[in-house]
Amino acid sequence: MSSAVSTEPLLHRSFREISRPRFRSSTLRPSPPPASLSCAPKSPSFRHARRRCASGSGPRRGGWGGSGGGAALLRARASSSGAAVVEALESADVLFQEAFPLQRTETAEGKIFVRLDQGKDGQNWQLTVGCTLAGKWILHWGISHVDDVGSEWDQPPAEMRPPGSIPIKDYAIETPLQKSSTSMDGDEVYEVNISIKSNSNIAAINFVLKDEESGSWYQHRGRDFKVPLMDSLQDDSNIVGSKRGFDLWPGALGQLSNILLKGEASDYKDKDASTDLEASKQEVRCLEGFYVEQPIVKVVSIRNSVNISVKICPKTAKTLVYLETDLPRDVIVHWGVCRDDSKKWEIPAAPYPPETEIFKNKALRTLLQPKEQGNGFWGSFALDEEFVGFLFVLKLKEEDVWLNCMGEDFYIPVSSTRSSSLLRQKESDSTETSGKTMETNTEVSSTEYTDDIINEIRNLVSDISSEKSRKTKTKEAQESILQEIEKLAAEAYSIFRSSLPTFSAEAVLEQEVLEPSPYICSATGTGFEILCQGFNWESNKSGRWYKELMEKASQLASLGFTVVWLPPPTDSVSPEGYMPRDLYNLNSRYGTIDELKDLVKKFHEVNIRVLGDVVLNHRCAQYQNQNGIWNIFGGRLNWDDRAVVADDPHFQGRGNKSSGDNFHAAPNIDHSQDFVRKDLKEWLHWLRREIGYDGWRLDFVRGFWGGYVKDYLDASEPYFAVGEYWDSLSYTYGEMDHNQDAHRQRIIDWINATNGTAGAFDVTTKGILHAALERCEYWRLSDQKGKPPGVVGWWPSRAATFIENHDTGSTQGHWRFPSGKEMQGYAYILTHPGTPAVFYDHIFSHYQSEIGSLISIRNRNKIHCRSTIKITKAERDVYAAIIDDKVAMKIGPGYYEPQSGPQNWSPVLEGRDYKVWETS
Amino acid sequence: MEVSVIGSSQAKILKTDLACRELGLLSFKNGSRVSWGKSQISFGRSCGLRNSGVRFTLKAVQTEAIRPQKISRPQSQHGVRLYVGLPLDAVSYCNVVNHAKAIAAGLKALKLLGVEGVELPIWWGVVEKEAMGKYDWSGYLALVEMVHKVGLKLHVSLCFHGSKHAKIPLPEWVIKIGKQNPSIFFTDHTGQQYKECLSLAVDEVPVLEGKTPVEVYNDFCESFKSSFSSFIGSTIDGISMGLGPDGELRYPSHQGLSRSSKVPGVGEFQCYDKSMLALLKEHGETTGNPLWGLGGPHDAPVYDASPSSNSFFKDQGGSWESPYGDFFLSWYSSLLVRHADRLLSLASSAFGNSEVAICGKVPLVHQWYKTRSHPAELTAGFYNTQNRDGYEVIAEMFAQHSCKMILPGMDLSDEGQLQEGLSSPEQLLGQIWSACKKHGVEVSGENSSDAVAHGGFEQIRKHLSGEDAAHSFFYQRMGAYFFSPEHFPSFTQLVRNMKQPQMHTDDLLSEEEKAKEPVAATSESGIQMQTA
Repeated sequence: MSSAVSTEPLLHRSFREISRPRFRSSTLRPSPPPASLSCAPKSPSFRHARRRCASGSGPRRGGWGGSGGGAALLRARASSSGAAVVEALESADVLFQEAFPLQRTETAEGKIFVRLDQGKDGQNWQLTVGCTLAGKWILHWGISHVDDVGSEWDQPPAEMRPPGSIPIKDYAIETPLQKSSTSMDGDEVYEVNISIKSNSNIAAINFVLKDEESGSWYQHRGRDFKVPLMDSLQDDSNIVGSKRGFDLWPGALGQLSNILLKGEASDYKDKDASTDLEASKQEVRCLEGFYVEQPIVKVVSIRNSVNISVKICPKTAKTLVYLETDLPRDVIVHWGVCRDDSKKWEIPAAPYPPETEIFKNKALRTLLQPKEQGNGFWGSFALDEEFVGFLFVLKLKEEDVWLNCMGEDFYIPVSSTRSSSLLRQKESDSTETSGKTMETNTEVSSTEYTDDIINEIRNLVSDISSEKSRKTKTKEAQESILQEIEKLAAEAYSIFRSSLPTFSAEAVLEQEVLEPSPYICSATGTGFEILCQGFNWESNKSGRWYKELMEKASQLASLGFTVVWLPPPTDSVSPEGYMPRDLYNLNSRYGTIDELKDLVKKFHEVNIRVLGDVVLNHRCAQYQNQNGIWNIFGGRLNWDDRAVVADDPHFQGRGNKSSGDNFHAAPNIDHSQDFVRKDLKEWLHWLRREIGYDGWRLDFVRGFWGGYVKDYLDASEPYFAVGEYWDSLSYTYGEMDHNQDAHRQRIIDWINATNGTAGAFDVTTKGILHAALERCEYWRLSDQKGKPPGVVGWWPSRAATFIENHDTGSTQGHWRFPSGKEMQGYAYILTHPGTPAVFYDHIFSHYQSEIGSLISIRNRNKIHCRSTIKITKAERDVYAAIIDDKVAMKIGPGYYEPQSGPQNWSPVLEGRDYKVWETS
Repeated sequence: MEVSVIGSSQAKILKTDLACRELGLLSFKNGSRVSWGKSQISFGRSCGLRNSGVRFTLKAVQTEAIRPQKISRPQSQHGVRLYVGLPLDAVSYCNVVNHAKAIAAGLKALKLLGVEGVELPIWWGVVEKEAMGKYDWSGYLALVEMVHKVGLKLHVSLCFHGSKHAKIPLPEWVIKIGKQNPSIFFTDHTGQQYKECLSLAVDEVPVLEGKTPVEVYNDFCESFKSSFSSFIGSTIDGISMGLGPDGELRYPSHQGLSRSSKVPGVGEFQCYDKSMLALLKEHGETTGNPLWGLGGPHDAPVYDASPSSNSFFKDQGGSWESPYGDFFLSWYSSLLVRHADRLLSLASSAFGNSEVAICGKVPLVHQWYKTRSHPAELTAGFYNTQNRDGYEVIAEMFAQHSCKMILPGMDLSDEGQLQEGLSSPEQLLGQIWSACKKHGVEVSGENSSDAVAHGGFEQIRKHLSGEDAAHSFFYQRMGAYFFSPEHFPSFTQLVRNMKQPQMHTDDLLSEEEKAKEPVAATSESGIQMQTA
């Protein structure tokens, strides 16, 4: 491939790779040549280990990655749904039909371009950032002001934000790139335009480009892109008070493209580049406008499939394997057959299909025929009936890319006589000899499996008495018993290991355990929790919030809340508390430590648990280092710059690289340092003991690996914990996509990384509610599988549903819930599974009585975080669902009445565009 | 219709295939496949573990496969019946079966493995949580039903204590009473209370809404008996009576044990609650030493301290050997014996007619056993020193009530202990055991903690074979670690060794031999195997 690929001009980081453990399967059985067969698709361009994340190691359909039980189950489901296709064929002699996903990767090359030019009126400037590769590109950006001392980002003024922009906390904006009407060399172009008023005091625009599909970030050689609009950064003495109009320099960007042209980009050293950069600053200070391009390489994952069907040919009694695939280029099937389950490759006797050759006497290679309609290829293979299985892998003819079945050869059972499970084989064996076990069911369901095994033992034991040649059979039975024991032990282990570590484990439980487990797990509490966010963005203003809230404690309890989330309690640079400084100083703008203790005590008296808002991602320093950088901490935890992550240049940390996203306004704490973790654990412990907090609301957990969160939670043993994992949803052409699976997957990934010890705010659900309510598109509230489309649809017990908080609403209003439709939102989250959280401003508003009624409906019907939900309607103007067969609800202006069947529904609450029924 | 059946069974095959592939497990010779289901991650993580799992499988195949009829023999001779403890919170504080699915799978696995039964802690704080006499057995009934269905035996432990570890406290109403009347709890000389069980000094004082604790325990037992009458004697074949902290017969002398010191200290005497002090005063007056009855020893070390840090336990010239020491220690230990006497007699009258074994647990306080004064045992209430056997009287009392004694710590070896701790679990175990033997008390073994260390299995095996083997063994305890690939194979090995201690090699000859044996014998053994 071209040199551009191997030089990798852009840093390509995948955070999700970090957070998700990957288990590589290994093959013990010798596989036929070539040796690369058992590996994931290989191509010479993938020599960088970190690319592994892009090459497929299994399908991730709707996929919650991570822990294993789930994965196996998922695949099993995937295949059974594939098997369902069989019925559609209605052909009695089809023995097997299945579609297997084929995942492969291709590298797409393209470029990022940055253009700055003067607007039409000569007043404003326009910055265009674009990319020629298809994808869900997000510009993650912020600005630097002229008078900024540090190099943190700020949010640009509202008029600068292009439509569709989403604020990320208070320091950045995310704006999706739109498909442009223009094209560049025939490629589609995605771009975003930012207009800049020339009289603003913006010194620079900083950005990184993010690919939402892969979760990858494209930076400029490990740093943010920076488009300086003024030379203020260069000459500090010059800027104050003297804006020199709109001086521009292309800086690093202009320089970089030149460097790239020189060839092997990987050869250049940071040092050289930075001197170049300095030079460029000097030279081109007064340049007006610029245009630079930078090549990028993106590994695109492509999903194809291969369809296999097996039939018996009525004429020849041979087994016919029909294979078709939608792969785009010539495909070679590398295949063989086997006689038993050991899957030892054999070459069947001729005749072979056309275009077949024998490969090293171990396998056959057949070139597939192109389909007549154009797309894809097919092949047909006739096998003698003595063979049990058909084994193959696929190869793209032109490339050295092998495609297999999750790291293994495809194995297609072709013999009908062998197409039963191990146990059934055994049953029929013993039937031959004693004829006793035939009554046992032929369909072995997994729950009855064990009982069957126990029966099996009995039968075997009695067989022994009458049977002489049972030697082999006994062994076989013993083996199967032992396997069964191991299977059961493994099952028990996986459930015990954590209460409910994966979504799929829970899905299984849902069917069997009707009662929710009251076992208190830090992520769910009892499962019946209802959260109240006990503050807003203004709560610090009075200086006596703790006292004010104390007066409301009994009222909150009587409304039915079980958990209250209090504001961050520590000494903080910002009055709201989210810029913590001395963690052990709990006198804040909300009140004193003693007032806090009294408040917690008061809440405990009224049986409300208390969550502390802990900011673990970043911490403000108290002192400067020798370079004048604020990265030396004070107070009891007097860390130095080793506690700061190294990859945020603003703070010159000496720690390791961040395990998550960086929060740019303060030094990000390096949680990989043992002393940091030890101190934080002690601190949490102290908060538990000293203040009496029952659990945590974890701020900005995007900033560090979920595994550390698990560590903290294990150490502090909270009753309830919920993390704020907030990133933007995916949009296409400014419209929110129906499918937000990637978004919720990221949240699920984080929860998984915490090993399920914490829940997370269901940002996905909020986003989808926004779109549904704002545009009257209630169909959005059901995903492709007919489940709720947010985190609550995948992992309800870990989803803390909410419609507003101090960032999105209140006086900040970063992402306000559609005005006037709040009650529809509450009618949704307060009747649905998940743990609902109600925002303070809404509780103490004219909505109070309606919210109170919804909470009492929830409590009365014992709806909990794992309640079952059946979506009965999801149309343009109405959404309706039935929860636990006890509560029915609808939102939207459209008409809906629950059908009375076994239950009689009677309305209990009705408001603007929502209605709730109970069974009577 | 036909088609879809085929389709789904195909899918099932594929599922096992995939699981197997993920694991990378060896296939067996005859081509049968292992289906690990969900576990592939856990087992796939480490190659070493995987190997050991496989090794175990092969060996297990050998032993079980050879002669099923011999399995029953060691059992009938000195069969050690193995019980595995269910999780402490198997029934949650809210009275619902916890981890039901995991326990169900675990029970089946144990049944297949040939384990006799399981042990189930029944908590006072769960059943009689809200008010005196208001019992809710529903959670436990559900669990017993599960055990019954699988065909395992059940040994229940009646827990009249709370557990911080399992997060199960005493009944709410008892805690409430304790707030008004703190003297119902054990108290040390600094006034620190132990709130996980009632002080033995109030056993017969009507502190619980007009009833004495013993009466309340008795009502509890009666209610248990009537609620579980259909299981007692059949599924339920044993009952342990909770005798104190963690169910053990002792004073909570090691409360507040700090984790920082590696060597456990001597513990403290727990005789400072009002009732205890009153009894001590009375004892002092009746024995003619009123001044001695004013308080506990003034020169006893604190919890974490070593025996020599103060003068009471000193090896040479310590107060323990003085007349005052004897006065105090014999009083202190006699209260413990009387307490056990009361509770065991209660249990034997409540359950004596049923076909159940009644047990009590005596702790293995092995720290400082190698000193002359045995300080840790003294503070725990066992007047057992170089000069005096403190366990005879306890064994005798157990014998009187025909109770069996559960002895924990069977997995501990002297070598495993820290030198500085001067402890000797093996010698102490030997001492108690011989006291039991002398008085004809049957001994049941138990491991010391939830995690048996590697050498522990060998130690357990030693105690369970030979002449004086324990008649049953309680293996603690089911949970994530128990079923983990680090642990479960070793446990399986233990079970197999218990069944057939001398069989280590596979040889086909013996199998041929067996074929010649009379049909009747084998079929009989078959039945026993089922019921085992």
